[in-house]
Amino acid sequence: MSDGIDRDLFRRIQDRVAVVGIGHLPFAKDIGRPIGDTAVEAVQLALADAGLEAEDVDGISMLEMERTHEVSIARRLGVRQLTWWDKISYGGGASSATLMHAACAIATGMATTVVCHRARNRGAKTSRPWAQERELVTDDKALHVPWGLIRPVDVIGMWAHRHMHEFGTTREHLGNVAIAARRHAQRNPHAMMRGRPLDMETYLAGRVIGWPLTLYDCCLETDGALACIVTSVERARDLRQPPVLIHSVAQASGPNPVHLANYNNCPTMETTAKWCAELLWQRSQLGPQDLQCAQIYDAFTPLVIMGLEDYGFCRRGEGGPFTEGGRIELGGALPVLTSGGGLSEAYVHGFNLLLEGVRQIRGTSVNQVPGCRATLVTGASGVATSAVVLRRA
Amino acid sequence: MALGDVLVSERLHPDYPLPDLDDPVMRPFWAGAHEGRLMQQRDRVTGALHWPPKPLYWKDGRRLEWFQASGRGTVYTYVVAHEPFLPAFREWMPHILVVVELAEGARIVGHMVRCTPAEMRFGLPVRVVFKRLTERVTLPVWEPDR
Repeated sequence: MSDGIDRDLFRRIQDRVAVVGIGHLPFAKDIGRPIGDTAVEAVQLALADAGLEAEDVDGISMLEMERTHEVSIARRLGVRQLTWWDKISYGGGASSATLMHAACAIATGMATTVVCHRARNRGAKTSRPWAQERELVTDDKALHVPWGLIRPVDVIGMWAHRHMHEFGTTREHLGNVAIAARRHAQRNPHAMMRGRPLDMETYLAGRVIGWPLTLYDCCLETDGALACIVTSVERARDLRQPPVLIHSVAQASGPNPVHLANYNNCPTMETTAKWCAELLWQRSQLGPQDLQCAQIYDAFTPLVIMGLEDYGFCRRGEGGPFTEGGRIELGGALPVLTSGGGLSEAYVHGFNLLLEGVRQIRGTSVNQVPGCRATLVTGASGVATSAVVLRRA
Repeated sequence: MALGDVLVSERLHPDYPLPDLDDPVMRPFWAGAHEGRLMQQRDRVTGALHWPPKPLYWKDGRRLEWFQASGRGTVYTYVVAHEPFLPAFREWMPHILVVVELAEGARIVGHMVRCTPAEMRFGLPVRVVFKRLTERVTLPVWEPDR
């Protein structure tokens, strides 16, 4: 008997909702303005890119970790009225999910034109959440914070170290990821690490942060503001840019989730991304082999290696060797982080990976992969996460 | 008894991230630790371990029971943390963070004491030590089981 839930409803979204505009402010160590201000300007840039006006917007999808208010952004922009909005939790897990939520709202008629955005001021050392633990530790955090397992680099380092032990992943494999991202950043005028190339010798000599991870395994801390505009494919036809279709998109927490530090999954190296990937590919008519590049979430280098495995580009444990021989660099079989990513362009909870995904499909990346027809953008493994497959019309 | 070994932290940093002892789900864990016992939760019917622990209002909550674990295990994975770190932990740098696979099977986060980074390896046998942080809070930590 039917439960009344239409599981084919995803067809209403697949290739029928599109990203039509993108925009961002120059990334900076100190942007010098509050995010309530920068967010609005980034949205204006994205609207201009699309050829839309503030009056066209009726929805907003953003990250819960962003301390701005929808109504304030709408008022400053000049939006007539919002009919739909939401905030998605889990930081780096949420960027692709903003597109998913926007697409659901558009497909069900709750909104017609949705702004997805992220503004984040985190360049200053005192702004790091792990430097601000004061209150009694409650809920899931009580499972790791009282021992000092607080910095994300240590949480991820636990997985990374085990991955190295179990599968023979090496520091050089992690270095391949850092070097690929840094190489791509050299051609990106917006990249924080432009003009600062990285070689393996320098990588291996990096200052230890939490062994086995060192300085170059860690993303940057950046101030940034980015936005994209989502609407129906029909509306997209009249707009300035070629539409970038949302082909498949998924959000998943995995079973027994613990915010960040869950080491009790079975099999042991399985993160939330594996569950997200399963849904993503189920809904997709494309598979990993059909993508010309990928933007794999890279707060830390091992997340890229594990992400390559989770999203099916290689088998479990083979993510390290997959990075060899320039495979993940421009010119290789699967360039990753073609803008420089969180490691070398800017760390803004992966929202820059979304914008780079859109540019690759439009054909306008500074590191354009020739003939790019489809790409993947993922959120953070480990936390409840999300991912999207973007394709050309 | 060796497993009742207690370390006392003399000068606790005012910003030390202390756990909420009144969390109803975790209360037996913290109460046990304060009495020198490492507590774990299991399903008394199936024997399955639950870590993180489940609340009593979980669907099979009536079958849950806490029990004293052996306090022994092996290093499942670890990280040697260097500066910049939280001021509350500075006196222990480099701080060896560890995930211990308990003899009972669960994997639990902790940190090492009386151990150098050079001694660390995967599979290293470890035993629990209780570190008294305040008059109310005791943290189960780990040392090599020599």
